[in-house]
Amino acid sequence: MELTRYIGRRLIQIAIIFFVILTVLFLLFRLAPGDPVSRMVDPDMTPEDAEFLISQLGLDQPLGMQYLYYLKNFFTGNFGESFHYGQPVIEIIWARLPNTILLFTTAIILAALVGIFLGKIASWHKGETTDTLMTLGALVTHTVFLPWLGLILIWVFAYKLDWFPITGMLSEEVWLDPGAGIFTKLIDVLHHMILPLATLFFIHFGSYLLIMRSSMLETLKEDYILTARAKGLQEKVIRNHHAAPNAALPVVTSVGLSLAFSINGGALTETIFTWPGIGRELVMAVSQNDYPLAQASFLLIAIVVLLSNLVVDTLYAYLDPRIRY
Amino acid sequence: MGRFEIGSYEMSMEKLNKKSLNRSPRIARFRAGWAIYRQNLLGKIGLTLLVIFALMALCSFIPPLIDPMYQPMTGVDPDIAKSTGPSLRHWLGTDFMGRDILSQLLAGARVAFMVGVSAAFMSIVIGTTIGMIAGYMGKFVDTLLMRLADMIMVMPTLLVVLILSALFGQLNIWIIVLIIALFRWPGVSRVIRAQTLSLKQRPFIEAAKVAGASHMRIIFRHIMPNVLPLAFLYMTFRVTSAIIIEAALAFLGFGDPSTVSWGMMLQWVWKTGHMFKAPYWLLPPGICISLITLSFYMLGRAMDEVLDPRLRKEAETG
Repeated sequence: MELTRYIGRRLIQIAIIFFVILTVLFLLFRLAPGDPVSRMVDPDMTPEDAEFLISQLGLDQPLGMQYLYYLKNFFTGNFGESFHYGQPVIEIIWARLPNTILLFTTAIILAALVGIFLGKIASWHKGETTDTLMTLGALVTHTVFLPWLGLILIWVFAYKLDWFPITGMLSEEVWLDPGAGIFTKLIDVLHHMILPLATLFFIHFGSYLLIMRSSMLETLKEDYILTARAKGLQEKVIRNHHAAPNAALPVVTSVGLSLAFSINGGALTETIFTWPGIGRELVMAVSQNDYPLAQASFLLIAIVVLLSNLVVDTLYAYLDPRIRY
Repeated sequence: MGRFEIGSYEMSMEKLNKKSLNRSPRIARFRAGWAIYRQNLLGKIGLTLLVIFALMALCSFIPPLIDPMYQPMTGVDPDIAKSTGPSLRHWLGTDFMGRDILSQLLAGARVAFMVGVSAAFMSIVIGTTIGMIAGYMGKFVDTLLMRLADMIMVMPTLLVVLILSALFGQLNIWIIVLIIALFRWPGVSRVIRAQTLSLKQRPFIEAAKVAGASHMRIIFRHIMPNVLPLAFLYMTFRVTSAIIIEAALAFLGFGDPSTVSWGMMLQWVWKTGHMFKAPYWLLPPGICISLITLSFYMLGRAMDEVLDPRLRKEAETG
């Protein structure tokens, strides 16, 4: 099975890349000015607790041993304790991860689908007003400054019109109410999610639209489109069944390539909407000098980016049978 | 042997050469490119906007000369201690400390150009050099450099700068520029590498080799002039991303506190709780960041059409 072998090879590559990131981060944390111990152990801890944590993290050992401890702790999920929360870091990031994945994947998938759909239409009306308007709109939404868009959406839809809550992911009264069913809770999350989702969606769909449009225009020059026309197929059939599936491939590639950039946007969106995700946790941890939490969040985000890259590549290999790696 | 041998560029050159035969080929090429560029609506809008922003950046030197009250960082109006709306004295109003918003906005234009252009220039220099070396040398060097590029490509730059500022404390604006440059070259080097690979097959490289030119000479004297237009095109896209990253960083509160950037202005609006009551303060910096990125992006797309329509797809993935 070629596809499985390809995935296997990519997994090994990802493991190597991740290992390098892990090592660089270790070195940075040890080489940065200041005392590495105070960076991993909360200064407010009791001496006994601190002692225990130091020996657990291997901070009293020479640098080489520290590195081995660091690797062992990483694989056993021991990232130390958060200064701010006073809880094990691993618990915090596990609790935040699903929220990020929920918001982020929904936004990207929606943006890709809408971008592909609208890009198809724009290319079909090339040179007409529809095309010009769509291209311009896509350019504007693609380049608008994300935090500002978020603030404007909050200002208009949450503050002025009061349609959506300003912050958070859940309303307490719904979740503390024992009578509330799962459906009410779901609606509540959705209600909170719409504005951050819209922000991420707006930033992304424009670039997918532009890529789909130019890729469609290229595809329409191909011989098999000419063949389809010669067979007398309906224009709609040619567009939707012959051209679009092939033209959508570069969009998939670009989702993968721009993923690191999208993650930046995800962190900003979470921060603005106080969405309890991993990106916001990283931003907060950095501003509160909560080093253990910052380190672990960063590593987790790196894993998420790498694995999503793998998903995108696999999807690509699956969608395009001509490509075998 | 033409030095800028890229597709449609040459074709359109021939068309226009008739008009400008008596001029030097460099100027003729420039005029040919300009003729295509001029027909592009997006290119025209982008260029106009950029000229306006450049004027803003220039104007930023004027207000502090009139009155120290208009110093963007320290110029507190003695009569005002809180945010007020637009008035004759302060055209765009004042911020929470009574500082003039317009002069902050003008100073922000200067910072945006400074950050965007210098970070983009550095990342283009790094990306082009690495791309050419990887493409020309091939084999082991190529694999090594491209794996490095892959690795850096998956790193979210903003979060990297965040982690670094957690470790090293408040970062200076030039350090931020340097980090952005160091993390934004892989996309460029990929494209330059592909271009180098095809250039390598051309007879003039073979001729240079036979004539005994060193690798260095071939790379920098024979390959580089041919990839420069492409590198320049990429620079416009890098300017965009550098400006966005710096603005986002400042917005989150990790910018250089001694520079007024538009991102920092937004952070002040947000953090001091003025976003619901001071639209005169919330709107201008956001519009400026969005428009300057839009105009560089439009410039890039228009230049793209001048250089080679086939490259369009790759350039858009940022």
